[in-house]
Amino acid sequence: MDCSQLKSNIFAYSEGALSEEQCQSFESHLSSCIVCKQLMTELNHIEAIIEMEKSVEPSPFAATRILQRLENEFEATKKSYFPGLVRVLQPVAIAGALLCGILIGSYTAKKDNTQANQVVNPYENIEFLRTNLFISDFADEDTMLGLNK
Amino acid sequence: MTDQELIEGILHRDRNAFQCLVNQYQKQVIKAAYHFVGNLEDAEDLSQEIFLDVIRSLPSFNKSSSLSTWIYRITVNKSLNMVKKKQRRGIMVRIESLFRPPVEHGSTHTTEPSVLPADLEHQEKQSLLHAAINRLPENQRIAFVLCKFEDHTYKQIAEIMKIGLPAVESLIHRAKVNLQQHLVHHFSEYQKT
Repeated sequence: MDCSQLKSNIFAYSEGALSEEQCQSFESHLSSCIVCKQLMTELNHIEAIIEMEKSVEPSPFAATRILQRLENEFEATKKSYFPGLVRVLQPVAIAGALLCGILIGSYTAKKDNTQANQVVNPYENIEFLRTNLFISDFADEDTMLGLNK
Repeated sequence: MTDQELIEGILHRDRNAFQCLVNQYQKQVIKAAYHFVGNLEDAEDLSQEIFLDVIRSLPSFNKSSSLSTWIYRITVNKSLNMVKKKQRRGIMVRIESLFRPPVEHGSTHTTEPSVLPADLEHQEKQSLLHAAINRLPENQRIAFVLCKFEDHTYKQIAEIMKIGLPAVESLIHRAKVNLQQHLVHHFSEYQKT
């Protein structure tokens, strides 16, 4: 048996699935090859880890925690009289809030647009001042600034 | 309490039945979850979800298999989902770390490590084993874990996985070949360095 043959038979060897002849060949290669020996040690360690993991024990409080969780869950469902209704109402409320947002947004946008369309005419203001404050001297300045039409 | 009495009790929200169910199956559930998830704390947290699921879906339990087998099925599904979630989270963390500036450690962080080298080596091999198992295709992984870690017979595995005996044999054989290849490759590379 060479190194590559040994590598493909390692699991079979550790599970005792090789024939007696194959087993002897495996072991004789293992005793003469340091690299394969090292590899076998590493894989034996992996086997040991699997064995250790099998014997793992849950914490002594695990059962209490599970029972507590189950109790909390069922208390919560008891308290809510219509647990199914919540599931229906939640999306309806979210959809309503979204619709309200859209309506408010479109209303304010419309209002802004109408305000923006009302452009102030500067000539109207001057006419207003002129008539209400009786200032006739504006006429000269208007001519100077080229405000008169 | 027999399985039938247990089911009846749980369906009638009997507190004793809940207690009996947890006492009877918590070890099985936590151990199986641990063998898939690879972390006892996560397995214990997950066991709470598993029992909730068992109780919620008990009305739909059709008794075509034993209660224990059915609970195993839920445990395996939930555990695999958790592994997938953890893997996705791991990818996100790796992506985030690419955009994060490297952290400079000051002199205050140079404390002695509290883990012994032998423990470190053990932990390293343990995570290597779980990484290798998680690389297996899902069906091979389930069959291998149930056979090697949970010591189930091929017949029990066939019942849990709802497949035939020859399929179980083939899955376990392929899982062993794949694991052997992965581990041998890893240790051969390790020896070279």
